[in-house]
Amino acid sequence: MNQMTPSEENMNMENMALQQSQSEKIRAIIKRYYIYFVLALVVAVFSVVRLDEVEWFARGHFLNPNNIINLLRIAVPIMTVAGAFTFLMIAEYIDLSIGSALSLAGVVFAWMILNGFSFLPAFLVTMFVGLIMGTINGFLVIRLNITPVIATLITLSLYKGIALLIVPAGFSGIKSIGEQKMPAWINNYAREDVIFGLPMAFFLAIVVIVVLVVAQRKTLLGKYSAAIGGNATAAELSGINRIKVVWILYIIVAVSAALAGIARASFMSMGDPLTGDGMELWVIIAVMLGGTRFSGGEGNVEKTVIAALIIIVITVGMLTVIPAYWQTFALGAVLLIAVVINHQLVGDT
Amino acid sequence: MATTEQGQTQKPSISSRIGDEMYIVLLMIGVLVFLVVAAALFIDGFFQGQTLVNLVTNNWYIVIIGIGVTFLLITGNFDLSTGGVIAMTGVLAVYFSQAANVSQNELANGLGLPYGVAVILALLCAMGIGALNAFFVVRLKVPSIIVTLGTMMVARGIAQVVTQGAQRNTSLPDVFGIIGNAQIPNTTIKYSVVVMIVLIIIAFIFERKTVQGRRTYFIGANSAASRLSGVNVTRHLTFLFILSSLLAGITGLLLASEFKAGVSSRAMGYEFDALVVSLLGGVSIAGGFGSVLGMFVGALILSTVQSAATGLLLSPDWQFTLKAVAVFFAILAQSYVLKRRQG
Repeated sequence: MNQMTPSEENMNMENMALQQSQSEKIRAIIKRYYIYFVLALVVAVFSVVRLDEVEWFARGHFLNPNNIINLLRIAVPIMTVAGAFTFLMIAEYIDLSIGSALSLAGVVFAWMILNGFSFLPAFLVTMFVGLIMGTINGFLVIRLNITPVIATLITLSLYKGIALLIVPAGFSGIKSIGEQKMPAWINNYAREDVIFGLPMAFFLAIVVIVVLVVAQRKTLLGKYSAAIGGNATAAELSGINRIKVVWILYIIVAVSAALAGIARASFMSMGDPLTGDGMELWVIIAVMLGGTRFSGGEGNVEKTVIAALIIIVITVGMLTVIPAYWQTFALGAVLLIAVVINHQLVGDT
Repeated sequence: MATTEQGQTQKPSISSRIGDEMYIVLLMIGVLVFLVVAAALFIDGFFQGQTLVNLVTNNWYIVIIGIGVTFLLITGNFDLSTGGVIAMTGVLAVYFSQAANVSQNELANGLGLPYGVAVILALLCAMGIGALNAFFVVRLKVPSIIVTLGTMMVARGIAQVVTQGAQRNTSLPDVFGIIGNAQIPNTTIKYSVVVMIVLIIIAFIFERKTVQGRRTYFIGANSAASRLSGVNVTRHLTFLFILSSLLAGITGLLLASEFKAGVSSRAMGYEFDALVVSLLGGVSIAGGFGSVLGMFVGALILSTVQSAATGLLLSPDWQFTLKAVAVFFAILAQSYVLKRRQG
């Protein structure tokens, strides 16, 4: 059997190397573009699935302009949180308190509007509250050295508790109470048509997303977070101030959660202390689906943002097809599937 | 309190004889006694037999799921799926044992299986969730926090799908409501509480006296070293994940029986409470440290704080803030005390 001349053997090896590099190339291409493919697939499925009942682009069809505008209004604030969260996961940290932070921000914002403040002061104060929440998270994790999961579970409980305490007893949220009426213009930020039927909140969030994507690609913050997630000790030895970077990341996440909270409160015209419950799940699913490595060091804000859009498309689209009580199961299943995809593509082994 | 103070002053004699875990447990018992005395001083009617009994019995379901959560935490893993598993097991047990084809209403029709079979099947489903957790965490090496958040949703999702987002409570056999409501004669203590105490004792013996139990600590302290010295880490973690889900399943059955209903929103946030009591009891996520007894003391502290808050007429909205503050101080105090003891 072993009669190959040296040159043949050489060619054989070259062939194999070529094949291997080709399969690796394919893998790289899949890794790069699968997220767009999944988005297209999901949109296609929801466009086709009810064609026997509705016409293309007609009312009730998934690609109906009103439906798309509505979807974007819901999706974009969550996309900002997911984008910011990617930095944190790349640095191998986690923040479970974002849902509560979002709720608390919404409650604070609604409370200020209800008590006669105009938009800008309420907006700025709420963003400041977000800043404080991020600072507290960072302090617990990086200064007191409490494990991130535990530290942010503590603040999850704390922020939710405070939000519940701000809401007067017997009410489900900050809204018109007796004489005190919630001004109707609270809606404007998240509902009023600025251009293309999309509101101010949408465009602000888009700006934030662009800033986050650029920050990851072009600034030291992106490189430092990847370095910390890749090898924290090596990063510190090469002069990166880990404490400062991680602290900043926690603040960015909490501030974007506060921004999303304002959009949510404005959209619903009330500050609901439970509105953000479970948000950490949505965001973690988005980050996993976006291909961020479990053990940090690698990830992509842009893909997370697309993944967040996919999740919203799935949840909104599903409502038109199957009853609402399937939603929890579907989201859990999507998370597990995302984990498997992630494992196959990014793989830690 | 007295013992811990002695431990600090006469370091070589007492301190060296008790391990760090027992030291923390004693510290938390001290905190518990302090809290109970403070509550008794400031709240009228707190120091009564019935109130004190309630402190032990109130949180039985948290303690039962806390056992599995504690063991996993000692190995450095989280299990956040327990609340979902409780809801799922309860709903499935109800669904399996509801009579078949008795009504127009879909939610009144079950599979009509005999009670025993229904219970066993429901528990197997619970263990299935545990196996799923183990598969993702142990085989695919995905962080447990992410996996168990996912399986929590899958389990609760199953409960919601089976109950169509509501609950199932009709056409159940009478036997279904017995175990959850039966009481020890002449007392108000339910058998569920007895189950809790038995499980705590078994878990304590398992943890202290069996090779299997000690492996939990070994894996938590150094997973790589334990694998190299011949411990089958994969098998042990799988066992612990399935055990945790099984305990949640048992809790789910007891709760479903108590209310004679399978409610899809049952046990929301219990996974968080189980984590809270473990942390209050000194279990360390850094791994290799903690005990079930500490978790039990943690649960007592939590009930004391909750009853005291009710006694002080604080609104129920305070509970989240109180839990957060309690865990925060517990973690700080424990790490401070351990540091002092070691250095």
